[in-house]
Amino acid sequence: MTSAYTSRPQGSRLADLLAAHAQLLSIAGFFLIMVVIFSIASPVFLSTGNILNLVRQIAPILIVAVAMTFVITTGGIDLSVGSVVALINASAAIVLQMGLPWPIAVIGLLLLGAAIGAIQGWFIAYQGIQAFIVTLAGLSALRGIALLMTEGFSIPISTDLGFVAIGREWLLGVPVPTWIAFLIVAAGFLTFWGTRFGRYVTAIGANQEAARRSGISTKQILLWVYVLTGLASALAGIIIAARLGSGSSNAAVGFELEVIAAVVLGGTSLMGGRGSIAGTVLGALTIGVIGNGLILSHVSPFFTQIVTGSIILLAVWLNARVFSRLASGARRKT
Amino acid sequence: MNANQTQGAAAAAPIPRIALSGIKKRFGSVEAIRGVDLALYPGECVGLVGDNAAGKSTLTKIISGTYVPDEGTISINGEPVRFATPADARKHHIEMVYQDLSLCDTIDVAGNLYLGREPMNGIFLDRKAMRDGARAMLERLEIKIPNLDALVAQLSGGQRQSIAIARAAAFDPQVLIMDEPTSALAVKEVEAVLDLINRVKAKGVTVVLITHRLQDLFNVCDRITVMYEGLKVAERKIADTDLTDLVSLIVGKGHGMGGHA
Repeated sequence: MTSAYTSRPQGSRLADLLAAHAQLLSIAGFFLIMVVIFSIASPVFLSTGNILNLVRQIAPILIVAVAMTFVITTGGIDLSVGSVVALINASAAIVLQMGLPWPIAVIGLLLLGAAIGAIQGWFIAYQGIQAFIVTLAGLSALRGIALLMTEGFSIPISTDLGFVAIGREWLLGVPVPTWIAFLIVAAGFLTFWGTRFGRYVTAIGANQEAARRSGISTKQILLWVYVLTGLASALAGIIIAARLGSGSSNAAVGFELEVIAAVVLGGTSLMGGRGSIAGTVLGALTIGVIGNGLILSHVSPFFTQIVTGSIILLAVWLNARVFSRLASGARRKT
Repeated sequence: MNANQTQGAAAAAPIPRIALSGIKKRFGSVEAIRGVDLALYPGECVGLVGDNAAGKSTLTKIISGTYVPDEGTISINGEPVRFATPADARKHHIEMVYQDLSLCDTIDVAGNLYLGREPMNGIFLDRKAMRDGARAMLERLEIKIPNLDALVAQLSGGQRQSIAIARAAAFDPQVLIMDEPTSALAVKEVEAVLDLINRVKAKGVTVVLITHRLQDLFNVCDRITVMYEGLKVAERKIADTDLTDLVSLIVGKGHGMGGHA
């Protein structure tokens, strides 16, 4: 049987739009469900005080997760972020105790974080060693350095210093760490979505050789994404030191896993080529809400890790199996 | 049409647009290219044929900067050059359609067409210019892709190949290399690509075409170069050869190389 020619209908725009953002919608839905459950379980969950507390608490995760989104979108991983946080955290307390003016200390520590990222990035981009291996080595060695420097003790930071304002001060009714996180998220979003750098990060994750053949300096871009995670981890380490008023080599244990979980929950593909800063923000918020909500619901703190782990698996499973199948028949790579 | 005619009266011995001399490339213990000389002139199309693993793709990837040769020299318009990366070759207006297409599946059509030379609006990508430019590029090549926001992964094999061709042809190349550009295309689309080759040739572009569809070579090529096990074993003007001759050269009969292989 033959049919008379008609031009092929384009299909619904809305369906295309939903398909393109299925992952984002699913994590947004998941986040809202968590909020509803915990607001029923605990009356104080939705109070302004608790919400501000929550967004202050997750600021370090949010900041590092934004940078980690770039790394994972290239198809890489940075396992060393927790150890960089600890190293910077401990170093902050040490240099402040030595009497270094705090603005100089902050700049120096940020540069140190960036330099650590650059060294790891050089091994990954220019020496072709797998990111997993390089940053696993970083995870071990950098916390080791922090332990060596502090000999395992927690070092106090004088609250007379302006430094602690970074973690404790409020601005226009919102904690400073939240403002910092907000600025990082905005900058990360614009860079990822709108600039050549963001475009090339995606291109490298999708097909590194194709990106190179298109004249992109893939090695340089790869090195830079690890500089970003180093820098973001340093910032997180400074914020944590300022909030707690102390520096410790035991800060941020397991931090890298929370950060990676936030990024993956947000729909960024571990295979590279597909990432979303908006998704990462929702992922970080979801992890923050689960931790905070379970405590407010008087669940044993030991349960938090079990529940967090299960929910991550459930959410990623829903994402990978259910939503993406609904979303697209023709997509080659999920 | 041969090189002397296209070069015009200015030079008695025309300078090739691109000339390779003594090119060698080794992968581990395998010598993929064993000393090849090749001269390509403006406005001509050279067909590169040979059996699988004859070194056709390797040779073209050396021209496009993807591989750096172990030995030998490349010169463009008589000036020696050295390509350390594909970016260097792109600066000399050498564009290539790769056999594997080299597309980024998770980037949209316009983004792939402009990959590596995105139009900018300040520090941000100029998405509107990219989309409008992409539409114009595809229209010139009569490629129908309804939704330019579609990710390349969602397109058919033929559409993907068309995009790779459009990307190479659209940015005023001086040398256009096409490695199996028509393998996934339908009849009408193949005709469009052959038309395209004839059009860019008329504008003075040098075209290198690798294809297993030997009949296509007779439609667009001026010369045919035959490779065999990493060597250039024969060069024929299109008027001096036919399908039978080509086939025997490709399988290694016509040039006395096949016997001891």
